[in-house]
Amino acid sequence: MTTTSTAEPRVRAERPDTSPPRRRRMSVTGRRSLTAWLFLTPTLLILIAFTVYPMVQAAYLSFTDYNLIRAAQWVGLDNYVELLSDDAFWNAFGNTVLYAVVVTPVTVVLALAFALMLNQAFLGRAFARTAIFLPFIVSLGIIAIAWAFLLDPNIGLLSHWLSLVGIVPEQGWLSDPRYAMAAVMVVGVWKNVGFYMVIYLAGLQSIPVDMYEAARLDGAGVWQRFRNVTLPLLSNQTLLVSVLALIATLQAFDQIYVMTRGGPFFRTETLVMLVYRQGFQELRFGYASAISFVLVLFVFVLSMVQFGYLRRKQVTY
Amino acid sequence: MKTQHRRRSRERRLFRAARPLTAVAALTIAGLALAGCTGQGSGGGGGDETDASGKVTLDFWNGFTGPDGPALQKVIDDFNASQDGVEVTANIMPWDTLYQKVLTSVAGNDGPDIIAMSASRMPQFASQGLFEGLDDYYTDDAHDSAALATAAVDASVYDGVNYGVPVNFTPMMMYYNKDLFSAAGLDPEAPPTTWDELATMVPKLTVDENGDGKPEQYALAIADHETVPVMASLLWGTGGGITNAEGTESTLADPASIEALDFWVSLIRDQKATQIGMSGADADKLFQTEKAAIEIVGPWMTTGFDEAGLNYGLAKPPAGPSDEAVLADVVSMGLPAGTSDAKKEAAYEFFAYWNSVEGQTTWSDGSGFPPNRADVADKVTASPYPAIFGAEDVTSVSKTLLPGIAAGGPIMETIFNPSVQKALNGEGSVQDIFTAASAQVQAELDK
Repeated sequence: MTTTSTAEPRVRAERPDTSPPRRRRMSVTGRRSLTAWLFLTPTLLILIAFTVYPMVQAAYLSFTDYNLIRAAQWVGLDNYVELLSDDAFWNAFGNTVLYAVVVTPVTVVLALAFALMLNQAFLGRAFARTAIFLPFIVSLGIIAIAWAFLLDPNIGLLSHWLSLVGIVPEQGWLSDPRYAMAAVMVVGVWKNVGFYMVIYLAGLQSIPVDMYEAARLDGAGVWQRFRNVTLPLLSNQTLLVSVLALIATLQAFDQIYVMTRGGPFFRTETLVMLVYRQGFQELRFGYASAISFVLVLFVFVLSMVQFGYLRRKQVTY
Repeated sequence: MKTQHRRRSRERRLFRAARPLTAVAALTIAGLALAGCTGQGSGGGGGDETDASGKVTLDFWNGFTGPDGPALQKVIDDFNASQDGVEVTANIMPWDTLYQKVLTSVAGNDGPDIIAMSASRMPQFASQGLFEGLDDYYTDDAHDSAALATAAVDASVYDGVNYGVPVNFTPMMMYYNKDLFSAAGLDPEAPPTTWDELATMVPKLTVDENGDGKPEQYALAIADHETVPVMASLLWGTGGGITNAEGTESTLADPASIEALDFWVSLIRDQKATQIGMSGADADKLFQTEKAAIEIVGPWMTTGFDEAGLNYGLAKPPAGPSDEAVLADVVSMGLPAGTSDAKKEAAYEFFAYWNSVEGQTTWSDGSGFPPNRADVADKVTASPYPAIFGAEDVTSVSKTLLPGIAAGGPIMETIFNPSVQKALNGEGSVQDIFTAASAQVQAELDK
């Protein structure tokens, strides 16, 4: 707020000042960046209040023993040391990696496939686009409840259909340790694929048509055009989509919380689920903060690696 | 190539121009963060002591969302009308929401004045400093606490201090579907009284009509998560249990406990006595839709079963070979640590009214829960269930699970229930799974 009020008169005051051309040019640059900062201020303030401040707070808490009621006790690196020998942590870490390793590529490939399909003109295209995008804007809580109903062993529609073709879920897909993870993965993919599809669609439509024409004149078939024109020219979208998708899968929480609560016996407990359990059920907010910081670090490193790798494959045209 | 180069150099110039401002932004962030770090750990109850008319106002958080909610409200309304110094307002929300909200709101000085929660969860919160000790409530003769059921009072004791006053004390009873008993060729007036009798009935009550391996009807509806801990109470039937009476040692791997677990795991897995992997709500649904013949649950389900038009009977849960295994659930009211004297006095007035003859008669009549005191049993006439659930032969043998053990919640949710799920899914032998679980329980107790 203070930035806005002090800065604005200065901008206005500079406007009538039209004297030497050199000074004026500098002030244009200054004014430009000042305007940019002014536009950024509201967002920055929100980011500071709701992202940066909590993160710094959590970083501090990860070195403490804190239960929300009593003042935090400084314990140094104890929480991090405990993590290393905590089976629950390694189990959740493994589940998170498994979830990310399966869901990320499946989501990206499916999103590209849908985008390619829905980039063609056909009857019902608008409906298909909406149908695939819709799950993304519906609250995950509601989606998860709906899926839990569909998969219910006694009243579930999906379970019923599957039983018609001889697949009989005796104890429910979500409570069977063999299928629970797969079930939450399916929902995770189904939920997000529409969003990434839209990014790919935008990318597809920005590819100049003459590129394809040129390729066709050179005698390239459908596969070659896809391989040598579409795919490389979509590399910017691929970079964005795979980084976003990876980060999203590493933070999987809501559909798992509603559908399985991490069960049966922690088979679907991800790191974020564990953070929640340690914090709100076992009242160990310091330990929970330490887990979330390990996750932050993990996401950061992976994103950087991914960014570095895919950046090299980028093309400009 | 040329265009690219030009773009990059322009970017660089823009970045250079922005640098001083970046530094300012970073400093602001750091400053805010430091300011935030110092404001840690205030606590205690807060809010206004009195309302405009000079009454002490008490915000009472509880989870009586079911048909028992109106009964609770009726007692509160009666109390508010009975005097003009205190005004109690009920804030009813689902129990899991309450558990999630209570810590953050108390820490943020915006919490309830009275908190109701399962007495089994109270020690964990008490050990973290959430609750005020209420021993002086019990030493005041005016509160007539001697009339209360001992188990109900003792349920909220942690580390020698009582942190709660009972809202209710409820044994879990066996509901059985008489129609399904008849259809199976069993006497609908003779529910199983022992584990052995139950075991002989299971093959008749579990029905797989089309032979696809998934029964259309189960003998029992027993949940393994998000439920009242019926499964754990079954260990008492052979003299086993999760811990010893003092809560100092794990007894989960003792021969008696393993014997009980073996019996139930094989009944469920081999005889398909119940569907595996159900939550409490799933089990209720299974019984309610007549897909299960027996469920052991509390009186809060009675209305739902009546509305579903079930022809059911109520009996004491079957006894184990060496002991009866009747689980009691107690909900207690506590006060947040740091409650002012004025609020405390007002809350005590309400607690005493709640547990008075008048209050308990209204509560039992309306909710179907048995009264907390034996001397009102004959005054409860509106519902037959309080007499059944509160019968002397039931309440005298019923016990609460893991009373006074701070790690009780985590032990159930992160050790016992997952171990039961493992065993039911055949992920190892009962002996192996529960020997490992026992070591984990011991570690929790030693913390």
